[in-house]
Amino acid sequence: VSEARRLHPASLIGRSLKVLPQTLAGGAGYAAVIAREGFGRILLFALIAAGIGFAVALLGWWRFRYTVGANEILIERGLVHRQRRVIPFDRVQDISIERPLLARLLGTARVKVETGGSGADEGTLDMIGLADAHALRDHIRHRHSGAGSAAVEAPPEEPLLFAMDLPRLLFSGLFGFSLIFLAAIFALLQYLDQFAIVDLSSWFTPERAERAGALVSIPARLGFAGLLVLLGLLAGMARTVARDFGFRLTLARNGLRRRRGLFTLTEAVIPVRRIQAAWIEGGLIMRRLGWHALSFQTLGTDQRQGGAQVAAPFARLAEIAPIVAATAFPMSPPRESFRTMPRRGLLRRAFPWLLLGLIGSVAALAVEPRAGAVSALMYLFGLVALLRWRSHRWALTAEALFVSGGFLNRRLWVIPFDMAQSISLAQGPLQRRLGLSSLLVDTAGASLFRAPEIVDLDEKDANVLHRQLLELFYSARIERRLAA
Amino acid sequence: VEETGSAQTQALPAADYRPLQPGQLSVFRVRTALFFLPLALLTAQFDYWASHEVGPLRGTELPFGIMSGAAFLLALAACLFLPPRRYRAWGYREGEDELHIRHGLMFRGRIVVPFVRVQHLDIAQGPVERRFGLARLILHTAGTRSAAIPLPGLAHKDAEELRDRIRAQMRKDLL
Repeated sequence: VSEARRLHPASLIGRSLKVLPQTLAGGAGYAAVIAREGFGRILLFALIAAGIGFAVALLGWWRFRYTVGANEILIERGLVHRQRRVIPFDRVQDISIERPLLARLLGTARVKVETGGSGADEGTLDMIGLADAHALRDHIRHRHSGAGSAAVEAPPEEPLLFAMDLPRLLFSGLFGFSLIFLAAIFALLQYLDQFAIVDLSSWFTPERAERAGALVSIPARLGFAGLLVLLGLLAGMARTVARDFGFRLTLARNGLRRRRGLFTLTEAVIPVRRIQAAWIEGGLIMRRLGWHALSFQTLGTDQRQGGAQVAAPFARLAEIAPIVAATAFPMSPPRESFRTMPRRGLLRRAFPWLLLGLIGSVAALAVEPRAGAVSALMYLFGLVALLRWRSHRWALTAEALFVSGGFLNRRLWVIPFDMAQSISLAQGPLQRRLGLSSLLVDTAGASLFRAPEIVDLDEKDANVLHRQLLELFYSARIERRLAA
Repeated sequence: VEETGSAQTQALPAADYRPLQPGQLSVFRVRTALFFLPLALLTAQFDYWASHEVGPLRGTELPFGIMSGAAFLLALAACLFLPPRRYRAWGYREGEDELHIRHGLMFRGRIVVPFVRVQHLDIAQGPVERRFGLARLILHTAGTRSAAIPLPGLAHKDAEELRDRIRAQMRKDLL
């Protein structure tokens, strides 16, 4: 039985924003009545209204507490009239986790515990940290199914697999460069625009842009770019620290337990039995300096997130190895055992871009010089294609399929044979001409966009591998059963 | 054992894939025709404009019906030549423990789904398919890219039998 908790502090932002239009509309009404009082007075009123709105939200947040018990959840709320609601887990029909846009920006979620009663919000936690939400759902489901009365709380002494101290956390924050605050500012502006408080189209006009462009000197622009980079670094740092503060990964009875977070301590268990695949990745500079991140792909998490669970966000390979070993996954074979992709694959990747670049160059020389810029961009894409082709490799060991690739952020996938959901070969028109074929082992909870596809294998190799992987699927299943 | 003959289909070895029901060829034909229908309407409109004194194409010296005629010939050629090739590109093989499907004309593919990985099965029938007594079997897996794998062009009865056989295999794994 855990102690009473409050909602995620970020929910204050949501609550304040919700009352903002009303307060501001009130301000506008006030302004209409006493238009002569001047802009200062109106602003003051708006500030007071916003302040009251925030204070109400803060009080509401302060008075809202929830306690997750062994068999029920207790929700206490109300400013004047205190309300206590107990929802026993065996009455719970469904637990849904919602993530509106604001929640997604803030890494939170709204949990709705539905009991099949008629009340609209029977047990809504709006909002708590995403990992908390998942943990709560798992906890309730676990209890609901009556799967044993073993303590869900962490036993105090679990072997520590990985932890990050403050210097490393701060260092890792440098790699978390993010311009998400820009998106947030624009989202806010758009929100205000919607209520006709600001008029975006009058702010950003072509004439203004031109005038501003003429006014701003080159050093000022560079300074602005520098400022943007600095802000990006700071935002990334803040986000990383808020998320990964006090990162600890311990070996639980049936999985890996991860605790982290500055404002909201989140705790999540990655059950070993539900791990489908693993990957080790690193950005361009990060991996040059010998740092990597380890993630597991698990079954049954949010589809949008692609079921990715970070097990070590910033670690040396020597630190990653024991974590991987704890999940009984194989570690990457030596570099020599990896196979590179055939030369024709480079042709397939780069040819369309080079052709477009060439057309652009001809157009630039003959017709329109400005086509040169487009042409240069096409050549750049061709270069990226070359780099992607060069970094793409695969290896087949006795335990798993390994696929590595990526241009800036390079990722090495580990896919145990028996985790395949389906195995597919694909061949586009150009690939068919060149005798190439791409192979994908689809796994549960995989990302739709970044999948461990082996692109442009030699067609014969692809066919052999396809057959091999199917055989290995069955033998690995039998082996796992015998082991269990 | 089916021999598909076409050089292109052998890029991915045809092995002993079973072809779809012959009726599926007609389904592909109808689909191709439906695909070209908007083009036909558009070119007819262009011809109308070209032959009248109003509209964006007035004053063009094109002989009446040349555009819709060309579009008709193009659509006719497509309906004649594309569907048989598409039909030949498709095939399936029911293994002991898995289903192999070969598919696609421009973008070819081959997929294998172990029966134990099938979460649930659907039989779907569109209006055109119903007309030819055909059905589509859809295999749902827990995967992402191929979460739903369709196998079209089965006789409705065959689709039901195949579904029942796969279901029996799924159950066997639970025991």
